[in-house]
Amino acid sequence: MPAGRRRVAPASRLRQTLGYHRRQPCRVPHRRGAWCPIDPLVRPTPVPSNDPTPFDHNAALAACARGDQSALRRLYERENRFLMGVALRIVRDRAAAEDVLHDAFMAIWNRANTFDPHRGEGRGWMCSIVRNGALSAVRASARTVSVDEEFLDELQDADPQAAPDMLDAFSMRSTLGQLDHCLERLDVAKRNCVLLAYLDGCTHTEIAERLSAPLGSVKAWIRRGMASLKECLA
Amino acid sequence: MSLDETQQLAADYVLGTLSAGQRIEVEERLPRDAMLRTAVQQWEAKLQPLTQLVEPVEPSPALWQRIENSLPAKPRAVPATKPGGLSHWWNSVAFWRFAAATGFAAASVMAIAPTVGLFAPARPQFMVVLVAPQGTSPGWVVQTSSAQRLKLIPVAPEPVPAQRSLQFWTKADSWSAPVSLGLVEPGKPIEIPLDQLPPIQPNQLFEITVEPYNGSPTGRPTGPIQFIGRSVQL
Repeated sequence: MPAGRRRVAPASRLRQTLGYHRRQPCRVPHRRGAWCPIDPLVRPTPVPSNDPTPFDHNAALAACARGDQSALRRLYERENRFLMGVALRIVRDRAAAEDVLHDAFMAIWNRANTFDPHRGEGRGWMCSIVRNGALSAVRASARTVSVDEEFLDELQDADPQAAPDMLDAFSMRSTLGQLDHCLERLDVAKRNCVLLAYLDGCTHTEIAERLSAPLGSVKAWIRRGMASLKECLA
Repeated sequence: MSLDETQQLAADYVLGTLSAGQRIEVEERLPRDAMLRTAVQQWEAKLQPLTQLVEPVEPSPALWQRIENSLPAKPRAVPATKPGGLSHWWNSVAFWRFAAATGFAAASVMAIAPTVGLFAPARPQFMVVLVAPQGTSPGWVVQTSSAQRLKLIPVAPEPVPAQRSLQFWTKADSWSAPVSLGLVEPGKPIEIPLDQLPPIQPNQLFEITVEPYNGSPTGRPTGPIQFIGRSVQL
C-alpha cells in the first residue's frame, strides 16, 4: 500500500523511516524469527560532543603492540561508548553488540602491531574494525531476516523527494565538514539510502522496505549516490 | 558518472551492503589486492565522519572484564615470526586470532608445516582454516591426507546452542549448492571419507553451520554460519 503510506504525515513518516513504528526483525541467531522493537537507546537524538581532552590513539596502539595491556584499557575507557553506539545501531541487540565489541578489542589487541599511522588515524582504524565486525555478524545471520523481494520490486516508484530527510534527524552535522556539503548535494532519497546502509547496516532489501521503494531504485540510488560522493569528496 | 569495478566493490564493502559471502570474498582479496585495499581505505576515510552522528551508548560494566579475561595472561611475546618460538605461537590463541583476522593463517601454516613436520608422515595436499564470520577466532582446521579423505581438527571449540547440531558443509565453485559432510561435535576431531564427492579443489568452500538438532531438515544449510574458510593447496 505505497499510496497509503505516502499520505502519512511527514513527522510520523520520519519516525517510521528511522525505525520507531516498525518492529524490527531480530538479527541475532539465538532469537531467530522473533520480532523485537529497535533498542530505544538507538535514537537519533542530539549527540554529546566527543571528549575534548586530547588523547593519542596512535601512541596507545603502539603501546598495545608492545604488549601493554593498560594501553588497551585506556583505549577502551576512551572509546567504549562511541564504539558501542556504532555497533548497536548495526546489530540492534545489546548482547550481540557487546560480542562485537569484545571480538573487536581482541582484534585491536592482536593486530595493533599491523596498525600503520601513515595510512590513517588510530580512532578510525578501531572504528572500522568494529563496523566490519558488526556487519559480518548481521550478514552471517541474514537468513533470519524475512523479506519479500517480489513485493518490493512491485512497489510503485516512490517519490524520492517526498521522503523525510534522515540527515535532518541528526544534530552535530557541522562535524561532518566536507562530507556534510557533499551529502547536501545528493537528493533526499540517495542521502537516506547512504545513511541507512552506513549507519544502520541495512541491506538493499531492508532499505527498500524502510523507504517503501522498489529494490531496483534503491540499488540505483546507492550506486549513483556513492559515485557523486566520490566525485564531490575527491 | 559511475565508479569502476574496484571502486564500486570497495564502496559497497565499506557502505555495508554486501552479503556475508561477498564480504568474505572481499576480505580474502584484501591482503593480496593492493588496489582494492587502497580503495577500501579511501572509502573508510571518506565515510568515517558519519559515525559522529551516532549516539554513544554505555556498554554493560562487565564488558571490560570479559575482554580482559580473553587477553593473554602475561604480556604477549612479540610477533609470531620470532625465531625459536614455533611451539609457543602454535599454541597461542592470540596468534591464531591475529593470523585469522589478517587472513594469513592458511599461508603461515603452509609455510611452516613442512619445516616443523607437523603433518608428517603424509604430506597434506589441502589445508583450510575455518574462521568465525566476524573473522577473529578460528575454530577448526581442515587437512587432507589424500584427495579423498579429510580430517577436521578443532582449534578453539565454540559451544553448540541447546537443541542444535553443528553441520559441516562443502561447496566447490562449480557446484550449485553446498553438500553436507555430516554432523560434527565441538572439540572432537573427525575423519571424513570423500568417496562420494569429486576431489577437493583449490578455493573450495568449507563451512560449519548451526542447524536444528540432528541436522538440517532440507539437506541445505539453514542456520547461521559458525565457521567458514576456503581450501588452500599446499
